[in-house]
Amino acid sequence: MEGFNALIVKIGRGVGGVVGTLYQAGRDSVDTVIRNVIPFMAFISFVIGLILTTGIGDWIAKGLKGSASSLPGLLLISVVCAIPLISPLLGPGAVIAQIVGTLLGVEIGKGNIPAQYSLPALFAINPQVGCDFIPVGLALGEAEPETVEIGVPAVLISRLFTGPLSVVIAYFASFGLYSQK
Amino acid sequence: MNLQSLILLSADVTVDKQGGFLGTLATGAEDFIKVFNKGGSVLLSLMGGILPTLIVLLTAVNALVRLIGAEKIENLGKAAARPGIQWYPVRYIILPFVAVFVLTNPMAYTMGRFLPERFKPAFYDSAVSFVHPILGIFPHANPGELFVYLGIATGIKQLGFGLGDLAVRYLLVGLVVIFIRGIVTEAITARMMKKVA
Repeated sequence: MEGFNALIVKIGRGVGGVVGTLYQAGRDSVDTVIRNVIPFMAFISFVIGLILTTGIGDWIAKGLKGSASSLPGLLLISVVCAIPLISPLLGPGAVIAQIVGTLLGVEIGKGNIPAQYSLPALFAINPQVGCDFIPVGLALGEAEPETVEIGVPAVLISRLFTGPLSVVIAYFASFGLYSQK
Repeated sequence: MNLQSLILLSADVTVDKQGGFLGTLATGAEDFIKVFNKGGSVLLSLMGGILPTLIVLLTAVNALVRLIGAEKIENLGKAAARPGIQWYPVRYIILPFVAVFVLTNPMAYTMGRFLPERFKPAFYDSAVSFVHPILGIFPHANPGELFVYLGIATGIKQLGFGLGDLAVRYLLVGLVVIFIRGIVTEAITARMMKKVA
């Protein structure tokens, strides 16, 4: 009887633990969605609404169409985003990358930019990722102050090379992507 | 104002455009509300299309990580700290991938603490560059910055293409890019450290 009781307690605890974990996981994910995802969706929806109904979309399209639908244009975007003085300014919250991504998405949806360019474009708009966050990120990794002092310029300079390079790699990886319907 | 009058206000009016001062005002008001009607329908399609899947996926992965335990990946961090060319892929491909997948942005960067100082900037560069390429398949890793991927993906969807091809290629190219970034940044860091010392 003792052993049977112990078994029941063990099963009960195990099941309770798993269910509790799942429930907590659900609570966390809903929390994330309400705090981080939906506010951004609201903001992006407003931007898209503005682009689609007013004339703003047309001149953005003209500006982007030339640069975002050719390899040299995409390279130019990536180089500008990777300039060490600009990249930390473009970084915070990836807001710039998200807005530009949405603008490009609208133009791709309208057919102004070939769908194949979606992959290199994803890298072209994002060589500045995390450039605003280097000291904090290194501190999270328990880096010494001396490492931070060297690490910040090291990452920023590295992006100047790897940013455009990532666009080239993505460009060659995009062959055969959405080429036929 | 009740709901019906709101709907009336936002409905498309088929009467000819009026002239004069009041007519201009009326046209302006219609154009004004049109912007938000369009935005609202975009918001609804986003929330109806992606959000339910995202919530379920987030829940599943969160639960998985909790059940396994985030501390299990510490051994991987220790392995990645070893010198030698064969540990480069571990340090700049496997460790960033696992760290971003399990710990998500921004806690993934804490895995840097297992590495010697000279690898830390390169690991940060590698890990932070992966928080977007992972979004196509595992959006739980960085839900706050979903639109870097989703913005462009929405356009692809409108064209009637599937997103799988783009998501997989984004992830794979991302892995190649973070590997290169890790190596380049490590070399630059080593150079700068030599200069200072």
